[in-house]
Amino acid sequence: MALPEIISGRVWKLGDHVNTDLLHPPSHFTPDEKRMKEGIAEGRARLGAGAKGDSSEEGWIIVAGENFGCGSSRETSVRGLSAFGVKGVVAVSFARIFMRSLVNLGIPVFESGEIEGWVKDGEMIRISLKEGWIELMDSNRFHFSEIDPHFKKILEAGGLPAYLRSEKHGV
Amino acid sequence: MAKGYTGEIIEGHANGRSEGEYLSVEVDFVLLHDPTFALILPELKKSGEEIWDREKVLLTVDHFSPPSSIERANIVKEVLSFAREKRLPHLSVYQGICHQLLVEGPWLKPGMLVLGADSHTVTGGALGCLATGMGSTDILYALITGRTWLKPPEAVRIDLREKLPPYLMGKDVILDLLGRYGEGGFLYQALEFYDKDEAIPMDDRFAICNMVVEGGAKNGLFRPDRVTENYLMERDGHLEKSKDWLEEGFKYSRKIEMDLSSLKPKIALPHSPAQVIDAEEIKDEAIDQVFIGSCTGGRLRDIELTAKLLRGRKVARGVRLLVTPASQRIYKMAIEKGYISAIIEAGGVVLNPSCGPCGGIDKGILGREERCLSASNRNFKGRMGDPSSKVFLSSPLTAAASALAGRIIDPREVM
Repeated sequence: MALPEIISGRVWKLGDHVNTDLLHPPSHFTPDEKRMKEGIAEGRARLGAGAKGDSSEEGWIIVAGENFGCGSSRETSVRGLSAFGVKGVVAVSFARIFMRSLVNLGIPVFESGEIEGWVKDGEMIRISLKEGWIELMDSNRFHFSEIDPHFKKILEAGGLPAYLRSEKHGV
Repeated sequence: MAKGYTGEIIEGHANGRSEGEYLSVEVDFVLLHDPTFALILPELKKSGEEIWDREKVLLTVDHFSPPSSIERANIVKEVLSFAREKRLPHLSVYQGICHQLLVEGPWLKPGMLVLGADSHTVTGGALGCLATGMGSTDILYALITGRTWLKPPEAVRIDLREKLPPYLMGKDVILDLLGRYGEGGFLYQALEFYDKDEAIPMDDRFAICNMVVEGGAKNGLFRPDRVTENYLMERDGHLEKSKDWLEEGFKYSRKIEMDLSSLKPKIALPHSPAQVIDAEEIKDEAIDQVFIGSCTGGRLRDIELTAKLLRGRKVARGVRLLVTPASQRIYKMAIEKGYISAIIEAGGVVLNPSCGPCGGIDKGILGREERCLSASNRNFKGRMGDPSSKVFLSSPLTAAASALAGRIIDPREVM
Protein backbone atom coordinates (compact mmCIF):
# COMPACT_ATOMS: atom_id res chain seq x y z
CA MET A 1 0.00 0.00 0.00
CA ALA A 2 1.55 3.23 -1.20
CA LEU A 3 -0.81 5.39 0.83
CA PRO A 4 0.50 6.53 4.21
CA GLU A 5 -1.97 6.55 7.10
CA ILE A 6 -1.16 10.15 7.90
CA ILE A 7 0.09 12.87 5.60
CA SER A 8 1.27 16.23 6.78
CA GLY A 9 2.44 19.40 5.10
CA ARG A 10 2.41 23.17 4.95
CA VAL A 11 -0.83 24.75 3.77
CA TRP A 12 -0.96 26.54 0.44
CA LYS A 13 -4.32 28.25 0.60
CA LEU A 14 -6.29 29.11 -2.50
CA GLY A 15 -9.72 30.56 -3.21
CA ASP A 16 -12.69 29.56 -5.39
CA HIS A 17 -12.54 28.67 -9.10
CA VAL A 18 -8.75 28.62 -9.31
CA ASN A 19 -8.20 27.42 -12.87
CA THR A 20 -5.30 25.45 -14.31
CA ASP A 21 -4.22 28.36 -16.56
CA LEU A 22 -3.58 30.39 -13.40
CA LEU A 23 -2.00 27.53 -11.50
CA HIS A 24 0.30 26.61 -14.36
CA PRO A 25 0.34 29.27 -17.10
CA PRO A 26 -0.02 27.81 -20.60
CA SER A 27 3.21 29.53 -21.68
CA HIS A 28 5.00 27.10 -19.33
CA PHE A 29 3.76 23.94 -21.03
CA THR A 30 6.63 21.48 -21.24
CA PRO A 31 7.21 17.73 -20.89
CA ASP A 32 10.30 18.52 -18.79
CA GLU A 33 9.62 17.98 -15.10
CA LYS A 34 12.05 20.61 -13.83
CA ARG A 35 10.51 23.25 -16.02
CA MET A 36 6.99 22.07 -15.13
CA LYS A 37 7.87 22.93 -11.57
CA GLU A 38 8.97 26.39 -12.66
CA GLY A 39 5.49 26.83 -14.11
CA ILE A 40 4.01 26.27 -10.64
CA ALA A 41 6.38 28.90 -9.21
CA GLU A 42 5.09 31.32 -11.86
CA GLY A 43 1.51 30.31 -11.00
CA ARG A 44 2.20 30.97 -7.32
CA ALA A 45 3.57 34.40 -8.14
CA ARG A 46 0.45 35.20 -10.20
CA LEU A 47 -1.81 33.92 -7.45
CA GLY A 48 -0.07 36.18 -4.97
CA ALA A 49 1.40 33.31 -2.96
CA GLY A 50 5.03 33.96 -3.91
CA ALA A 51 5.84 36.04 -0.85
CA LYS A 52 5.26 33.11 1.49
CA GLY A 53 8.33 31.29 0.21
CA ASP A 54 8.54 28.74 -2.55
CA SER A 55 9.92 25.79 -0.68
CA SER A 56 8.65 23.68 2.14
CA GLU A 57 10.77 20.89 3.56
CA GLU A 58 7.62 19.30 4.92
CA GLY A 59 5.85 19.34 1.54
CA TRP A 60 2.60 21.12 0.75
CA ILE A 61 -1.07 20.50 1.25
CA ILE A 62 -3.31 22.71 -0.85
CA VAL A 63 -6.55 23.90 0.72
CA ALA A 64 -8.81 25.40 -1.96
CA GLY A 65 -12.38 26.58 -2.35
CA GLU A 66 -15.00 25.60 -4.89
CA ASN A 67 -14.43 24.10 -8.33
CA PHE A 68 -10.69 23.78 -7.83
CA GLY A 69 -8.68 23.14 -11.00
CA CYS A 70 -11.31 24.18 -13.53
CA GLY A 71 -10.32 24.82 -17.13
CA SER A 72 -7.72 23.11 -19.25
CA SER A 73 -6.98 19.39 -18.83
CA ARG A 74 -3.22 19.95 -19.31
CA GLU A 75 -1.76 17.51 -16.83
CA THR A 76 1.34 19.68 -16.51
CA SER A 77 -0.51 21.54 -13.76
CA VAL A 78 -0.87 18.37 -11.68
CA ARG A 79 2.58 17.02 -12.53
CA GLY A 80 4.01 20.42 -11.65
CA LEU A 81 2.26 20.30 -8.26
CA SER A 82 3.68 16.86 -7.65
CA ALA A 83 7.21 18.05 -8.53
CA PHE A 84 6.63 21.08 -6.28
CA GLY A 85 6.02 18.76 -3.33
CA VAL A 86 2.21 18.79 -3.02
CA LYS A 87 1.23 15.71 -1.01
CA GLY A 88 -2.52 16.18 -0.80
CA VAL A 89 -5.29 18.53 -1.86
CA VAL A 90 -8.33 19.58 0.16
CA ALA A 91 -11.10 21.55 -1.57
CA VAL A 92 -14.73 22.44 -1.08
CA SER A 93 -15.24 20.93 -4.54
CA PHE A 94 -13.06 19.93 -7.49
CA ALA A 95 -13.32 20.33 -11.24
CA ARG A 96 -13.71 16.76 -12.47
CA ILE A 97 -10.77 16.42 -14.88
CA PHE A 98 -8.38 17.95 -12.36
CA MET A 99 -9.61 15.72 -9.54
CA ARG A 100 -9.16 12.59 -11.64
CA SER A 101 -5.68 13.70 -12.70
CA LEU A 102 -4.60 14.29 -9.09
CA VAL A 103 -5.73 10.79 -8.13
CA ASN A 104 -4.24 9.27 -11.29
CA LEU A 105 -0.86 10.71 -10.32
CA GLY A 106 -1.18 9.44 -6.76
CA ILE A 107 -2.10 12.68 -4.96
CA PRO A 108 -4.98 12.14 -2.52
CA VAL A 109 -7.98 14.48 -2.76
CA PHE A 110 -10.29 15.41 0.11
CA GLU A 111 -13.63 17.20 -0.11
CA SER A 112 -14.36 19.33 2.93
CA GLY A 113 -16.57 22.37 3.06
CA GLU A 114 -15.74 23.57 6.58
CA ILE A 115 -11.99 23.71 6.91
CA GLU A 116 -11.63 26.56 4.42
CA GLY A 117 -12.77 29.22 6.86
CA TRP A 118 -10.41 28.09 9.62
CA VAL A 119 -7.16 27.10 8.05
CA LYS A 120 -4.34 29.64 7.60
CA ASP A 121 -1.92 29.86 4.71
CA GLY A 122 1.48 28.46 5.70
CA GLU A 123 0.38 26.51 8.78
CA MET A 124 1.25 22.83 9.23
CA ILE A 125 -1.67 20.41 9.05
CA ARG A 126 -2.07 16.65 9.30
CA ILE A 127 -4.57 14.42 7.51
CA SER A 128 -5.52 10.94 8.65
CA LEU A 129 -6.66 8.91 5.66
CA LYS A 130 -7.56 6.04 7.91
CA GLU A 131 -9.71 7.93 10.39
CA GLY A 132 -10.98 10.60 8.04
CA TRP A 133 -9.90 13.84 9.71
CA ILE A 134 -7.82 16.92 8.97
CA GLU A 135 -6.07 18.47 11.98
CA LEU A 136 -5.01 22.10 12.08
CA MET A 137 -2.15 23.61 14.13
CA ASP A 138 -4.61 24.52 16.91
CA SER A 139 -5.69 20.86 17.09
CA ASN A 140 -9.10 21.61 15.59
CA ARG A 141 -10.25 18.64 13.54
CA PHE A 142 -12.45 18.58 10.45
CA HIS A 143 -13.94 15.64 8.65
CA PHE A 144 -13.80 15.06 4.95
CA SER A 145 -16.23 13.18 2.73
CA GLU A 146 -15.34 9.54 2.30
CA ILE A 147 -12.95 8.92 -0.60
CA ASP A 148 -14.67 6.87 -3.31
CA PRO A 149 -13.51 3.22 -3.22
CA HIS A 150 -12.41 3.48 -6.85
CA PHE A 151 -10.17 6.47 -6.11
CA LYS A 152 -8.89 4.69 -3.02
CA LYS A 153 -7.80 1.71 -5.08
CA ILE A 154 -5.93 3.92 -7.54
CA LEU A 155 -4.26 5.82 -4.69
CA GLU A 156 -3.31 2.61 -2.92
CA ALA A 157 -1.71 1.34 -6.12
CA GLY A 158 0.28 4.59 -6.31
CA GLY A 159 -1.55 6.07 -9.30
CA LEU A 160 -3.40 4.96 -12.41
CA PRO A 161 -0.43 3.52 -14.36
CA ALA A 162 0.37 1.25 -11.39
CA TYR A 163 -3.34 0.40 -10.99
CA LEU A 164 -3.43 -0.56 -14.67
CA ARG A 165 -0.34 -2.77 -14.28
CA SER A 166 -1.91 -4.63 -11.37
CA GLU A 167 -5.20 -4.94 -13.25
CA LYS A 168 -3.47 -6.38 -16.33
CA HIS A 169 -0.66 -8.38 -14.85
CA GLY A 170 -1.49 -8.66 -11.18
CA VAL A 171 1.71 -6.84 -10.15
CA MET B 1 -34.42 5.15 -14.71
CA ALA B 2 -31.39 6.37 -16.61
CA LYS B 3 -29.98 9.78 -15.80
CA GLY B 4 -30.79 11.21 -19.21
CA TYR B 5 -29.35 10.04 -22.53
CA THR B 6 -25.89 10.37 -20.97
CA GLY B 7 -26.81 7.84 -18.27
CA GLU B 8 -28.28 5.59 -20.95
CA ILE B 9 -25.06 5.74 -22.97
CA ILE B 10 -22.97 4.94 -19.89
CA GLU B 11 -25.18 1.98 -18.96
CA GLY B 12 -25.08 0.78 -22.56
CA HIS B 13 -21.28 0.80 -22.53
CA ALA B 14 -20.83 -0.72 -19.05
CA ASN B 15 -19.04 -4.05 -18.95
CA GLY B 16 -20.29 -5.20 -15.57
CA ARG B 17 -17.37 -4.10 -13.40
CA SER B 18 -17.83 -1.37 -10.82
CA GLU B 19 -15.87 0.18 -7.96
CA GLY B 20 -17.59 2.58 -5.63
CA GLU B 21 -19.73 4.86 -7.75
CA TYR B 22 -17.64 4.25 -10.85
CA LEU B 23 -18.55 1.92 -13.69
CA SER B 24 -16.04 0.40 -16.07
CA VAL B 25 -17.20 1.30 -19.59
CA GLU B 26 -16.07 0.48 -23.11
CA VAL B 27 -14.83 3.44 -25.12
CA ASP B 28 -15.83 3.95 -28.77
CA PHE B 29 -13.27 6.56 -29.79
CA VAL B 30 -10.27 8.48 -28.40
CA LEU B 31 -8.97 11.87 -29.50
CA LEU B 32 -5.33 12.87 -28.98
CA HIS B 33 -3.32 15.98 -29.71
CA ASP B 34 0.36 16.83 -29.68
CA PRO B 35 1.02 18.36 -26.23
CA THR B 36 -1.22 16.19 -24.07
CA PHE B 37 -0.25 13.01 -25.92
CA ALA B 38 3.44 13.93 -25.59
CA LEU B 39 3.03 13.79 -21.81
CA ILE B 40 2.16 10.07 -21.85
CA LEU B 41 4.40 8.95 -24.69
CA PRO B 42 7.32 7.98 -22.39
CA GLU B 43 4.99 5.96 -20.10
CA LEU B 44 3.26 4.31 -23.07
CA LYS B 45 6.60 3.29 -24.60
CA LYS B 46 7.96 2.11 -21.26
CA SER B 47 4.87 -0.03 -20.62
CA GLY B 48 5.44 -2.02 -23.79
CA GLU B 49 1.65 -2.04 -24.25
CA GLU B 50 -0.07 -1.47 -27.55
CA ILE B 51 -3.02 0.80 -28.37
CA TRP B 52 -6.13 -1.35 -28.02
CA ASP B 53 -7.65 -0.43 -31.39
CA ARG B 54 -5.78 1.91 -33.70
CA GLU B 55 -8.88 2.40 -35.87
CA LYS B 56 -10.57 4.12 -32.95
CA VAL B 57 -7.95 6.77 -32.35
CA LEU B 58 -7.48 10.17 -34.00
CA LEU B 59 -4.10 11.76 -33.37
CA THR B 60 -3.78 15.39 -34.39
CA VAL B 61 -0.94 17.86 -34.37
CA ASP B 62 -2.94 21.03 -33.84
CA HIS B 63 -1.48 22.95 -30.91
CA PHE B 64 2.10 23.29 -32.13
CA SER B 65 0.91 23.65 -35.67
CA PRO B 66 3.51 24.28 -36.95
CA PRO B 67 5.82 24.50 -33.91
CA SER B 68 7.22 27.88 -32.89
CA SER B 69 10.11 26.78 -30.69
CA ILE B 70 12.76 24.08 -30.63
CA GLU B 71 11.12 22.35 -27.66
CA ARG B 72 7.78 22.22 -29.47
CA ALA B 73 9.44 21.04 -32.69
CA ASN B 74 10.90 18.16 -30.71
CA ILE B 75 7.50 17.34 -29.19
CA VAL B 76 5.94 17.20 -32.66
CA LYS B 77 8.86 15.10 -33.94
CA GLU B 78 8.39 12.56 -31.11
CA VAL B 79 4.64 12.37 -31.66
CA LEU B 80 5.01 11.91 -35.41
CA SER B 81 7.71 9.30 -35.12
CA PHE B 82 5.49 7.29 -32.74
CA ALA B 83 2.50 7.64 -35.08
CA ARG B 84 4.54 6.39 -38.04
CA GLU B 85 6.12 3.54 -36.10
CA LYS B 86 2.70 2.34 -34.93
CA ARG B 87 1.11 3.11 -38.29
CA LEU B 88 -1.77 5.01 -36.74
CA PRO B 89 -4.37 5.16 -39.50
CA HIS B 90 -5.94 8.46 -38.42
CA LEU B 91 -3.15 10.98 -38.17
CA SER B 92 -3.78 14.62 -38.94
CA VAL B 93 -0.88 17.04 -39.14
CA TYR B 94 -1.54 20.80 -39.27
CA GLN B 95 -5.03 20.15 -40.73
CA GLY B 96 -6.91 22.04 -38.05
CA ILE B 97 -8.07 21.99 -34.45
CA CYS B 98 -8.66 18.50 -33.08
CA HIS B 99 -12.24 19.20 -31.94
CA GLN B 100 -13.22 20.28 -35.43
CA LEU B 101 -11.36 17.42 -37.13
CA LEU B 102 -13.08 14.94 -34.82
CA VAL B 103 -16.53 16.00 -36.03
CA GLU B 104 -15.50 16.44 -39.69
CA GLY B 105 -14.26 12.86 -39.90
CA PRO B 106 -16.62 9.86 -40.23
CA TRP B 107 -16.22 8.62 -36.66
CA LEU B 108 -18.69 10.23 -34.25
CA LYS B 109 -22.34 9.20 -34.22
CA PRO B 110 -25.20 9.62 -31.77
CA GLY B 111 -25.02 7.32 -28.77
CA MET B 112 -21.25 6.85 -28.83
CA LEU B 113 -18.91 7.19 -25.86
CA VAL B 114 -15.93 9.36 -26.78
CA LEU B 115 -12.89 10.50 -24.79
CA GLY B 116 -10.27 13.08 -25.58
CA ALA B 117 -7.10 14.30 -23.94
CA ASP B 118 -8.44 17.85 -23.88
CA SER B 119 -11.20 19.51 -21.88
CA HIS B 120 -12.98 20.78 -25.01
CA THR B 121 -13.65 17.25 -26.23
CA VAL B 122 -17.19 18.00 -24.99
CA THR B 123 -17.70 19.73 -28.38
CA GLY B 124 -18.52 16.38 -29.99
CA GLY B 125 -21.66 16.09 -27.87
CA ALA B 126 -23.42 18.28 -30.43
CA LEU B 127 -23.73 15.10 -32.52
CA GLY B 128 -25.64 13.36 -29.72
CA CYS B 129 -22.80 11.39 -28.20
CA LEU B 130 -21.21 11.39 -24.78
CA ALA B 131 -17.93 13.16 -25.41
CA THR B 132 -15.76 14.23 -22.51
CA GLY B 133 -12.24 15.38 -21.81
CA MET B 134 -9.72 13.81 -19.46
CA GLY B 135 -6.13 14.29 -18.37
CA SER B 136 -3.32 12.50 -20.17
CA THR B 137 -2.97 9.63 -17.68
CA ASP B 138 -6.68 8.77 -17.91
CA ILE B 139 -6.25 8.71 -21.67
CA LEU B 140 -3.23 6.41 -21.34
CA TYR B 141 -5.47 3.91 -19.51
CA ALA B 142 -8.14 4.18 -22.21
CA LEU B 143 -5.62 3.79 -25.03
CA ILE B 144 -4.24 0.58 -23.60
CA THR B 145 -7.47 -1.01 -22.34
CA GLY B 146 -10.20 0.48 -24.54
CA ARG B 147 -12.03 1.26 -21.32
CA THR B 148 -12.42 3.99 -18.75
CA TRP B 149 -14.14 4.49 -15.40
CA LEU B 150 -17.14 6.82 -15.30
CA LYS B 151 -19.49 7.91 -12.57
CA PRO B 152 -22.97 8.42 -14.11
CA PRO B 153 -23.61 12.15 -13.70
CA GLU B 154 -26.84 13.93 -12.80
CA ALA B 155 -28.46 15.17 -15.99
CA VAL B 156 -29.91 18.63 -16.60
CA ARG B 157 -32.47 19.15 -19.38
CA ILE B 158 -32.28 22.42 -21.30
CA ASP B 159 -35.15 23.23 -23.65
CA LEU B 160 -34.29 25.79 -26.32
CA ARG B 161 -37.27 27.39 -28.06
CA GLU B 162 -37.62 29.64 -31.11
CA LYS B 163 -34.98 30.43 -33.74
CA LEU B 164 -31.76 32.36 -33.24
CA PRO B 165 -32.32 35.93 -34.49
CA PRO B 166 -29.69 37.10 -37.04
CA TYR B 167 -27.70 38.96 -34.36
CA LEU B 168 -27.34 35.93 -32.07
CA MET B 169 -25.18 32.83 -32.26
CA GLY B 170 -24.82 29.64 -30.25
CA LYS B 171 -22.05 31.36 -28.31
CA ASP B 172 -24.56 33.84 -26.87
CA VAL B 173 -26.72 30.93 -25.68
CA ILE B 174 -23.93 29.25 -23.76
CA LEU B 175 -22.58 32.56 -22.37
CA ASP B 176 -26.09 33.32 -21.09
CA LEU B 177 -26.25 29.94 -19.34
CA LEU B 178 -22.77 30.36 -17.85
CA GLY B 179 -23.63 33.86 -16.68
CA ARG B 180 -26.78 32.66 -14.94
CA TYR B 181 -25.42 29.49 -13.33
CA GLY B 182 -21.75 30.31 -12.78
CA GLU B 183 -18.38 28.68 -13.32
CA GLY B 184 -19.23 25.72 -11.13
CA GLY B 185 -22.95 25.81 -11.85
CA PHE B 186 -23.05 22.44 -13.59
CA LEU B 187 -20.23 20.69 -11.73
CA TYR B 188 -20.07 16.95 -12.61
CA GLN B 189 -23.40 17.21 -14.47
CA ALA B 190 -24.49 16.30 -17.99
CA LEU B 191 -26.29 19.02 -19.96
CA GLU B 192 -28.82 17.71 -22.46
CA PHE B 193 -30.13 20.24 -24.96
CA TYR B 194 -33.46 19.90 -26.72
CA ASP B 195 -33.72 22.18 -29.75
CA LYS B 196 -37.52 22.24 -29.78
CA ASP B 197 -37.78 23.98 -33.14
CA GLU B 198 -34.87 22.06 -34.69
CA ALA B 199 -33.51 25.39 -35.84
CA ILE B 200 -30.04 25.79 -34.33
CA PRO B 201 -27.33 25.21 -36.96
CA MET B 202 -24.79 22.48 -36.17
CA ASP B 203 -21.89 24.97 -35.98
CA ASP B 204 -23.72 26.83 -33.21
CA ARG B 205 -24.44 23.57 -31.42
CA PHE B 206 -20.71 22.81 -31.47
CA ALA B 207 -20.04 26.20 -29.85
CA ILE B 208 -22.67 25.54 -27.17
CA CYS B 209 -21.37 22.06 -26.30
CA ASN B 210 -17.75 23.28 -26.49
CA MET B 211 -18.26 25.58 -23.51
CA VAL B 212 -20.32 23.39 -21.18
CA VAL B 213 -17.02 22.55 -19.48
CA GLU B 214 -16.68 26.21 -18.46
CA GLY B 215 -19.69 25.57 -16.20
CA GLY B 216 -18.04 22.45 -14.79
CA ALA B 217 -20.18 19.98 -16.76
CA LYS B 218 -18.89 16.52 -17.56
CA ASN B 219 -20.48 16.65 -20.98
CA GLY B 220 -23.15 18.37 -23.03
CA LEU B 221 -25.18 16.86 -25.83
CA PHE B 222 -27.98 17.70 -28.23
CA ARG B 223 -30.91 15.40 -28.77
CA PRO B 224 -30.33 14.05 -32.29
CA ASP B 225 -32.85 15.55 -34.72
CA ARG B 226 -33.18 16.60 -38.34
CA VAL B 227 -30.26 19.02 -38.01
CA THR B 228 -28.09 16.13 -36.80
CA GLU B 229 -29.34 13.84 -39.57
CA ASN B 230 -28.66 16.42 -42.26
CA TYR B 231 -25.16 16.98 -40.92
CA LEU B 232 -24.38 13.26 -40.83
CA MET B 233 -25.90 12.69 -44.30
CA GLU B 234 -23.81 15.45 -45.76
CA ARG B 235 -20.69 14.22 -43.98
CA ASP B 236 -21.00 10.47 -44.50
CA GLY B 237 -23.34 10.15 -47.47
CA HIS B 238 -25.53 7.79 -45.45
CA LEU B 239 -27.27 7.51 -42.09
CA GLU B 240 -26.89 4.74 -39.57
CA LYS B 241 -29.55 3.85 -37.07
CA SER B 242 -28.44 5.15 -33.70
CA LYS B 243 -29.44 4.42 -30.14
CA ASP B 244 -33.07 5.38 -29.47
CA TRP B 245 -33.80 8.51 -27.47
CA LEU B 246 -36.28 7.22 -24.91
CA GLU B 247 -37.18 10.49 -23.30
CA GLU B 248 -39.95 9.14 -21.08
CA GLY B 249 -37.39 6.97 -19.30
CA PHE B 250 -34.98 9.81 -18.54
CA LYS B 251 -34.59 11.31 -15.12
CA TYR B 252 -33.46 14.92 -14.98
CA SER B 253 -32.34 16.65 -11.79
CA ARG B 254 -33.22 20.09 -13.21
CA LYS B 255 -35.03 21.59 -16.17
CA ILE B 256 -34.12 24.91 -17.75
CA GLU B 257 -36.17 26.69 -20.43
CA MET B 258 -34.70 29.28 -22.79
CA ASP B 259 -36.44 31.45 -25.34
CA LEU B 260 -33.79 32.24 -27.93
CA SER B 261 -35.74 35.11 -29.47
CA SER B 262 -35.55 37.11 -26.25
CA LEU B 263 -31.78 36.84 -25.69
CA LYS B 264 -29.37 39.69 -26.33
CA PRO B 265 -25.74 39.45 -27.52
CA LYS B 266 -23.49 38.60 -24.58
CA ILE B 267 -20.00 39.46 -23.38
CA ALA B 268 -17.97 37.60 -20.75
CA LEU B 269 -15.82 40.05 -18.79
CA PRO B 270 -12.23 39.36 -17.69
CA HIS B 271 -11.24 36.92 -16.14
CA SER B 272 -14.13 34.46 -16.14
CA PRO B 273 -16.31 32.95 -18.88
CA ALA B 274 -19.18 33.09 -16.38
CA GLN B 275 -18.98 36.81 -15.65
CA VAL B 276 -21.46 37.73 -18.35
CA ILE B 277 -23.38 40.88 -19.27
CA ASP B 278 -25.29 42.11 -22.32
CA ALA B 279 -23.03 43.71 -24.94
CA GLU B 280 -25.31 46.77 -25.00
CA GLU B 281 -24.43 47.47 -21.37
CA ILE B 282 -20.75 48.02 -22.23
CA LYS B 283 -19.73 51.61 -22.87
CA ASP B 284 -16.38 52.81 -24.23
CA GLU B 285 -14.43 49.59 -23.83
CA ALA B 286 -11.64 50.08 -26.38
CA ILE B 287 -9.86 46.98 -27.69
CA ASP B 288 -6.41 46.35 -29.18
CA GLN B 289 -7.14 42.98 -30.72
CA VAL B 290 -10.06 40.88 -31.93
CA PHE B 291 -9.63 37.13 -32.31
CA ILE B 292 -12.12 35.05 -34.27
CA GLY B 293 -11.12 31.40 -34.22
CA SER B 294 -10.53 28.41 -31.89
CA CYS B 295 -12.59 25.25 -31.33
CA THR B 296 -15.46 27.53 -30.26
CA GLY B 297 -15.51 30.23 -32.92
CA GLY B 298 -13.61 29.23 -36.07
CA ARG B 299 -16.24 27.25 -37.98
CA LEU B 300 -17.69 28.05 -41.38
CA ARG B 301 -20.74 29.86 -40.03
CA ASP B 302 -18.49 31.91 -37.75
CA ILE B 303 -16.29 32.94 -40.69
CA GLU B 304 -19.36 33.48 -42.90
CA LEU B 305 -21.09 35.89 -40.51
CA THR B 306 -17.78 37.65 -39.87
CA ALA B 307 -17.12 38.11 -43.60
CA LYS B 308 -20.65 39.23 -44.40
CA LEU B 309 -20.51 41.89 -41.73
CA LEU B 310 -17.03 43.08 -42.71
CA ARG B 311 -17.63 43.09 -46.47
CA GLY B 312 -17.05 46.57 -47.88
CA ARG B 313 -16.04 48.00 -44.48
CA LYS B 314 -12.78 48.55 -42.64
CA VAL B 315 -11.58 47.37 -39.26
CA ALA B 316 -11.08 50.39 -36.95
CA ARG B 317 -7.62 51.96 -36.82
CA GLY B 318 -5.55 50.57 -34.00
CA VAL B 319 -7.43 47.26 -33.86
CA ARG B 320 -5.70 44.05 -34.99
CA LEU B 321 -8.19 41.51 -36.29
CA LEU B 322 -6.97 37.90 -36.35
CA VAL B 323 -9.11 35.18 -37.93
CA THR B 324 -8.27 31.48 -37.72
CA PRO B 325 -10.44 28.94 -39.55
CA ALA B 326 -10.81 25.84 -37.38
CA SER B 327 -9.68 23.48 -40.14
CA GLN B 328 -8.11 23.42 -43.59
CA ARG B 329 -11.45 22.23 -44.96
CA ILE B 330 -13.23 25.26 -43.50
CA TYR B 331 -10.39 27.49 -44.71
CA LYS B 332 -10.77 26.19 -48.26
CA MET B 333 -14.54 26.61 -48.26
CA ALA B 334 -14.15 30.11 -46.86
CA ILE B 335 -11.80 30.96 -49.73
CA GLU B 336 -14.17 29.49 -52.31
CA LYS B 337 -17.10 31.47 -50.94
CA GLY B 338 -15.13 34.71 -50.93
CA TYR B 339 -15.20 35.09 -47.13
CA ILE B 340 -11.43 35.21 -46.77
CA SER B 341 -11.12 38.00 -49.37
CA ALA B 342 -13.74 40.05 -47.55
CA ILE B 343 -11.89 39.64 -44.26
CA ILE B 344 -8.52 40.56 -45.78
CA GLU B 345 -9.99 43.56 -47.63
CA ALA B 346 -11.45 44.80 -44.35
CA GLY B 347 -7.97 44.68 -42.81
CA GLY B 348 -8.12 41.31 -41.04
CA VAL B 349 -5.20 38.87 -40.87
CA VAL B 350 -5.92 35.20 -41.52
CA LEU B 351 -3.81 32.64 -39.64
CA ASN B 352 -3.45 28.96 -40.49
CA PRO B 353 -5.82 26.53 -38.72
CA SER B 354 -4.46 25.77 -35.23
CA CYS B 355 -5.16 26.68 -31.59
CA GLY B 356 -2.81 29.67 -31.75
CA PRO B 357 -3.80 32.74 -29.73
CA CYS B 358 -6.55 30.98 -27.71
CA GLY B 359 -4.18 29.20 -25.36
CA GLY B 360 -1.43 31.80 -25.70
CA ILE B 361 0.41 29.19 -27.75
CA ASP B 362 1.71 31.28 -30.61
CA LYS B 363 0.89 34.31 -32.75
CA GLY B 364 -1.46 36.95 -31.43
CA ILE B 365 -0.18 36.76 -27.83
CA LEU B 366 -1.23 39.80 -25.81
CA GLY B 367 1.22 42.31 -24.36
CA ARG B 368 1.08 44.25 -21.12
CA GLU B 369 -2.39 45.56 -20.31
CA GLU B 370 -3.66 44.92 -23.83
CA ARG B 371 -7.36 44.23 -24.32
CA CYS B 372 -8.73 41.56 -26.58
CA LEU B 373 -12.24 40.56 -27.58
CA SER B 374 -12.12 36.88 -28.43
CA ALA B 375 -14.56 34.39 -29.95
CA SER B 376 -12.74 31.60 -28.07
CA ASN B 377 -13.81 29.89 -24.87
CA ARG B 378 -11.59 31.03 -21.99
CA ASN B 379 -10.56 34.44 -20.71
CA PHE B 380 -8.68 33.34 -17.62
CA LYS B 381 -5.98 35.68 -16.42
CA GLY B 382 -2.82 35.23 -18.47
CA ARG B 383 -4.28 32.59 -20.78
CA MET B 384 -3.73 34.64 -23.94
CA GLY B 385 -0.55 36.40 -22.91
CA ASP B 386 0.75 38.84 -20.32
CA PRO B 387 -1.01 38.37 -16.94
CA SER B 388 -2.00 42.04 -16.98
CA SER B 389 -3.82 41.67 -20.32
CA LYS B 390 -7.62 41.49 -20.38
CA VAL B 391 -9.72 39.15 -22.48
CA PHE B 392 -13.44 39.56 -23.15
CA LEU B 393 -15.41 36.76 -24.81
CA SER B 394 -18.24 37.06 -27.33
CA SER B 395 -19.76 35.48 -30.43
CA PRO B 396 -17.79 35.82 -33.67
CA LEU B 397 -20.47 38.25 -34.89
CA THR B 398 -20.13 40.55 -31.87
CA ALA B 399 -16.34 40.28 -32.21
CA ALA B 400 -16.46 41.29 -35.89
CA ALA B 401 -18.82 44.21 -35.17
CA SER B 402 -16.52 45.38 -32.38
CA ALA B 403 -13.51 45.18 -34.69
CA LEU B 404 -15.27 47.68 -36.96
CA ALA B 405 -16.10 49.98 -34.07
CA GLY B 406 -12.75 49.75 -32.29
CA ARG B 407 -14.61 49.13 -29.05
CA ILE B 408 -16.95 46.48 -27.73
CA ILE B 409 -20.44 46.95 -29.17
CA ASP B 410 -23.70 45.11 -29.64
CA PRO B 411 -23.61 43.84 -33.26
CA ARG B 412 -27.09 45.31 -33.88
CA GLU B 413 -25.42 48.74 -33.97
CA VAL B 414 -23.79 47.92 -37.30
CA MET B 415 -26.19 45.39 -38.82
